[in-house]
Order: sequence, then C-alpha cells, then structure tokens
Amino acid sequence: MSGFFESQVMLEALGPATLIAVVASSMSVMVLAHRLAFLAVGVSHATLAGLGIAVVLALPLLPTAAVSAVVVALLLGVISPQRGMNEDAATGVLFAGAMALGIVLLSGASKHEVDLFGLLFGNILMVSEQDRFWLICGSVPVLLALLVAARPWWAMAFDAASMRAMGLPVQAYRLMLYAIVGLTVVMCVKLAGIVLTAGMLVLPAASAWLWGRGLLSMWLLSLALSLAGTWLGLYVSYLHDLPSGATVVLLLCAVFLVSRSAHWLLHHRKAGQSH
Amino acid sequence: MAANPPALRLNHVSFGPADARILDTIDLQLDAGHFLGIVGPNGAGKSTLLHIICGLLQASDGHVDLFGECLSRSSRRRLLSQVRFLPQRQESMSSMPVKVRNVVGMGLDDYHKALWFARRNNEQIAHALALTGMQKHAEKDFRALSGGQQQRVRLARALVSSPKILLLDEPAAALDARAQASLYELLRKLCDDTGMSVVMVEHDIAAISDFVNSVACLNRKIHHHAMRGETIPDHVWRDMYGEHMHIVAHDAHCIGCVHPEDKP
Repeated sequence: MSGFFESQVMLEALGPATLIAVVASSMSVMVLAHRLAFLAVGVSHATLAGLGIAVVLALPLLPTAAVSAVVVALLLGVISPQRGMNEDAATGVLFAGAMALGIVLLSGASKHEVDLFGLLFGNILMVSEQDRFWLICGSVPVLLALLVAARPWWAMAFDAASMRAMGLPVQAYRLMLYAIVGLTVVMCVKLAGIVLTAGMLVLPAASAWLWGRGLLSMWLLSLALSLAGTWLGLYVSYLHDLPSGATVVLLLCAVFLVSRSAHWLLHHRKAGQSH
Repeated sequence: MAANPPALRLNHVSFGPADARILDTIDLQLDAGHFLGIVGPNGAGKSTLLHIICGLLQASDGHVDLFGECLSRSSRRRLLSQVRFLPQRQESMSSMPVKVRNVVGMGLDDYHKALWFARRNNEQIAHALALTGMQKHAEKDFRALSGGQQQRVRLARALVSSPKILLLDEPAAALDARAQASLYELLRKLCDDTGMSVVMVEHDIAAISDFVNSVACLNRKIHHHAMRGETIPDHVWRDMYGEHMHIVAHDAHCIGCVHPEDKP
C-alpha cells in the first residue's frame, strides 16, 4: 500500500479520479431513473467527432469535446420526440455517424498529436494541469445543476405527465438533464475512455438500485460504491500494472455483482424464513 | 372579471385535424364544488379532453379558462399550480426506489425547489395519506405496494396540495369495488367540504352516478350533459356506442355494485 502513496503519478491521478467518480456516480442516479444509459453510450462515442474537430482545428481537447457532447445530447433531446423518431434509433444513428467522422478526422493526425488508445480506453495517469482545470470547470455546473434540479428530475422520472400538468417546465428540465449528462460523459472519458464511459455512468446507481429507498439514499450509496470501486481500481491497477480505466470499470462491475448477489441472498433467506 | 368565475370553462374546444376531429366544439362549465363524470366509448376523446384542460395538449380551436383566466403560455404555471391531474396507471414507474411519503411529497410545489430550501410539509403529507387510508404505509417502498395501494398513494399525491381542480383518468381501474366506492365517496366529500371541483373519466356510469353532480356523455362531441337524477335518453347511448348495444336496467340489486348504504 505504501508504494501506491509514494508514486507521484498515482497521487496526481487520485484527485481527478475522485472528482470524476463523484460527478459520474451522482449523475448515474438520474441516468438510470430516466433510462438514459444508451444515450450516455451514444454521446460518449459522439465525443470522438468533437475530439477529431479539436485536433484538426487545433482547439483545446476537453472543452471542444464538452461542447460537442452537450450539443449532441441536446439535439437528441429536441429532435427525437418531435420528428416521430425513436430516441434509441436517433442515438444509434448518431453513435455510428459521429464515431466514423471522428476516425476520419483523426486518421490524418500524427501519433504525437493524439493518443487514440487513451481516448478510447481512458488515461487518468496522464492528467495535465490544463486537464485538471477543465475537469473542475466541468464539475461545477454538473454539481450545481444537481443541487437545483435533482428533485424535479427525480419526480419527472417517476411521472412526467403529472409534473407537466402541475405547470412545471418539464421540457426545460429534460434538456438541462441531457446537457448535463453530455458534460458528465466528457469528464468520464478522461478516466474510462469513450468505450468504457457508460460503465462509470450506469454501474454505481445500478449497484445501489435495489438497496436505495429514495433519492438521497440512492445518491449517497452510489457515491460510496463509486468511490470504493474507483480507489480500489486505481490501487489494483498500480499493484498489477493494469490499465487504470478498465480496472476501475471492472471493479465497479464486481461491486454490481456483489450487490445483486447480496440482495438476492438476503431476500432468498427472508423468503425461506417466512415459509 | 365576474366576482365568482367558474373554476373551469371550455369554450368551443376542438382537437385534431379539421376533417377528422378527435374532439369537436366542446363547451363545458364547472363551478366550484362540482363533481363531473365523463363517460364514453374507447377512443371517444375522454383522456384527450383531460390533457387539454391541464395543458398537456394544446386545443386546435377554442380555449380553456381556469378560474376565469385563459390558460396560455404565460399564465400556465400560475393557473396549473392549483390543478392536479391523476393520469391512467402506468406500470413502468413502479420500478423506481421511492418511499411512499416522498411520492406524495412530489405533489407539492415545494418539492421541486432546489435542495437547499428547507421543506416542512410532513403534516400535509400525513393528512393526504390519511385521506386515502394509506398512512400506515408512509415509510414503505412504493415498489412493494399492490396495484390498488399504489393508486391510492398516487391519489394522495394529487390531493396533497389541496388543489382547486382535480382531473382523474379512470382512477378506479386498479381498485376493487369497495375501494372504488370509498374513492368516489372521498371525492364527493372533498367537493362538498373544500369546494374542490372534480372532472373524472370513468367507464362505469352506474358506479359513479350516486356521487357525481352531473355526467357528460362524450364521443367526439358532448352528446348529453345530464344532471344528477336525470335519466340519459336511450338515443344518446345509441349515438355514442352504436346500435348493437343493449341497455339494461340498473338498480340497487345489481350484482357487483356497492352502494354507500351497503358499506360496513
């Protein structure tokens, strides 16, 4: 354990990884409640197009990716319900199209300009000062939005029609949710990469789902499980020299399996006792 | 503006394309404390009408007045804060982890404020749960309740803010005959005691006729608006449901009907 805390690289990664875990697990509650897991997958893949544009136009990577992810998420929120297109289909089309565009744009870039493996699978061990700054800039709006809109988002997931009939601006809240999911996705890409980001945005709340009894308990439980998975994942990746993002997601998967099995066992026992 | 404007007024409300109207020139007025039942066949536009009243759909023609003021984009939030709508039961939402008292709390305007605002409305929530006989279940997980119990919690959510108008879309669908009768009885009592107005879509006119002030027979148009005690002419039923329907007598001995005086 002492080696982990003496490693400068690991210590520098710990702060950003913790911040990402906090933001992602908080939003994962909403992603699950609103069934936006596939949207998160689609938007994370669409960030490749944003990154491609950033490389071609020599713009800063994270902010450009963030803007493109938010725009894509908002487009999905605006277009799909009105044009008679299923949101799943719209996400699928965008997923493939944006990924293809990203690959075409990035194919011209040299290996020094872009670390494609890092983009796809995450690279939290190479966090620059600039990345750190942009991660904080991204977290502030996400956490603020959660403080302002967590309850309406939660109530909308439960029954949007009743909320609209109360006069609440449900569509505005929905677009805000999509934009914030887009922003969160980009932050997760730094840790888990485009391919594994959905894990950060789904697994914490999925593990807490059966145990939570409301918004607050779901939130705290997702947070605790996500932090445990992330810290343990980073430690295991250091110990066995494994890729950090993938190890973190694997640990979160393990947490999910343990949570489900424990819940099943507990209820199985209870059911057994009641017979 | 008149001293006591009606709680709800529909003025020539139509919905759908001009050559295939779903609702055609609906005029309706509801005073405070009035309990209106709406009956009609499937696809008659009953739910659409409720959706127009609470602003979920925009009428193609005509307009809706709530408390003497036209429901518009600018007045929507203010006017609808005094209206509550109980949509038809959806199975999907029961999978979320929520405590019963929090489900009821969602019906309060306070609930939707930012997290740093303190909320002190436990009494209101307890009162609403007591009205629907669900106070014992306040701390339970909503997912663990039966369909009928969930429906009573949703009703408590609709009642918690003491709305001036309550819209209900087949609220008795998940309830047994006894729970149905106590639901209608509760609504009748709230109309009388608090002046709340109720518009309720139901299939079973026989079950509601003892409790409502009037019944509107709807199938694209309002074919008849009968006050309590008034018999709806046979031709109205035929207009609504077609020639092949049989009209049978309904009285206190009908099997399956629970009358208030039969209650234990």
